Amino acid sequence: MSSDEWRTDAELREVARSAGVSAWVHAQRLGGPPDAVGLNAFESVAIASLYKLPLALTWADLAEEGELDPCGRMRLPAAGRVGGPTGIALLLDDVEMSQRDVVRQMLAVSDNAAGDAIFATIGRARIDDHLTALGFPSGMVRQGSADETRAMMRDTGSETWLEAQRLLADPDRVTTTSQYDPAYASAATAADLTRLLGMLWLRAGYGHAIIREAMAQQAWRHRIGSGFPHDDVTVFGKTGTLGALRHETAVVQFPHEHPIAIAVLTRSVRPERHQPRVDAAIGELARLAVRPLRMPAA
Amino acid sequence: MDILRHLRFFTAVADARHFGDAARDLGMTQPPLSQGVRRLESRLGVRLFDRDARGVRITAIGQSLLPSARELLDRECAFVASASELSVPTQLRLGVVGDLDDLIPTLVAELAGSGQSVAPVVAGSVQLVDLLRDGMLDIAVLRHPGVVDGLAAGEVLVIPTRLDSTIGSSLKDAAPVAVPPRHHQPPAHDQLVDALRRLGHSGRVVEAADAVQRGALTAAGTAVRLVPVPNGAVGDPGSPPLRLRIARPLAAGRRPEVDHEGAAAVLHRVLSRVE
Repeated sequence: MSSDEWRTDAELREVARSAGVSAWVHAQRLGGPPDAVGLNAFESVAIASLYKLPLALTWADLAEEGELDPCGRMRLPAAGRVGGPTGIALLLDDVEMSQRDVVRQMLAVSDNAAGDAIFATIGRARIDDHLTALGFPSGMVRQGSADETRAMMRDTGSETWLEAQRLLADPDRVTTTSQYDPAYASAATAADLTRLLGMLWLRAGYGHAIIREAMAQQAWRHRIGSGFPHDDVTVFGKTGTLGALRHETAVVQFPHEHPIAIAVLTRSVRPERHQPRVDAAIGELARLAVRPLRMPAA
Repeated sequence: MDILRHLRFFTAVADARHFGDAARDLGMTQPPLSQGVRRLESRLGVRLFDRDARGVRITAIGQSLLPSARELLDRECAFVASASELSVPTQLRLGVVGDLDDLIPTLVAELAGSGQSVAPVVAGSVQLVDLLRDGMLDIAVLRHPGVVDGLAAGEVLVIPTRLDSTIGSSLKDAAPVAVPPRHHQPPAHDQLVDALRRLGHSGRVVEAADAVQRGALTAAGTAVRLVPVPNGAVGDPGSPPLRLRIARPLAAGRRPEVDHEGAAAVLHRVLSRVE
């Protein structure tokens, strides 16, 4: 390690310590001479809703091969819908929309019902085969949001998504769920996630462009985006949140510079649901990891 | 034959010149002492004492064996003494968070009173966690929430607090709260600040590492304190509680000679009695 790398490593650890999180970080430049920054970057972590990103890549690859029709109509019935905090998962009635719009919902607002629909359309085995053929670990997409939510409700003894969230957030009790465990949840390393973003940025398919656009339109900018409060810097992000897990993986694009892929995965020791300090620390971790990798694209 | 025991009989009779007195010195009765001396004589094949109507006299052979008998008994004493100097009683190395303020002496005293020898260390949680991981502590009472990776931590213990203030009785309008430094346990510190703001307090704090300093600031009226309430007392309603966890090294890292379970049970009992 060079002295700069030591300094970045120490700074990342200090930010994580002060925010009360365990952190897994990996950043790499997409373009120019290869370079990367990491903290625990090769440890497997439960990725929560970040599973929607490898799922989206699989969808775009299969669409490119003609296996799926991105404009095909999908029905998302209200019956059997497992609740979630955003999007179609919040709605009361049946919904019908195109596959590409379902994918946009799944990425821009992390819609659990949309994730489940795409997961069911492709199927667990086909997703796993595709991702392992690309060199990703088996189980990177182990299940959809409905199975994840059901496991969380079972572990906490709850009847609803909201009740499970409330129990996991009790400050007077240590409540845990199998969905924090990479062995029982969709799981990947921070380095897997930045490699995935690298693929997504290299591919010229129609579906891949849809994904990049939806990531740039993500509804929130409180995590990685908070580290780059500049109107001319684009953050193509995807968050993942489940109880104590707060994650985001993104491509940060400064004008006239090489894009940089970054993954910040955290597990908080505070159980509360709303933790702006941790969200801001994710932005700070991203800024610290991205800074040494910035380079003009000329 | 236990030679050393019989040599004690020999020297006692030689000193007292009387079986009855010697038996009394040894805290026994005369018949087993007489039999013991006879067994020793028969084992050694020599006569140590002449017994007659006037009493008991040591023989010439007995006289010449007496110094080596005394020397053996002295060596026995020295041997036992040096062994006991080498054996340090097993002390429980206990860590306690400074946040417990006035409850610390009670907690340590209860543990010491349970028959456990205790070496206490009072420090911030982050430092105690490092000491536990490095094998420098056997058990610690930590502030929750905080990182406890690589340790075995028990359930959350919720300790009520009351407002200690010389300037008013409502936390809502109170002066800054005197607290241990944030770096002692950052997530727990932030959780308290959030709880203060939730109550309508400004959320402002004064960081002071030392409980006496926090008390002085409170006495001066420039700050207030949230003090954990002692056994059985009731805290102020709405006053943010102090959350604790009892942590130990993982099973493989524990000193086998220490009774971790017993110590954890005592600490748990004392802290959960704080109702």
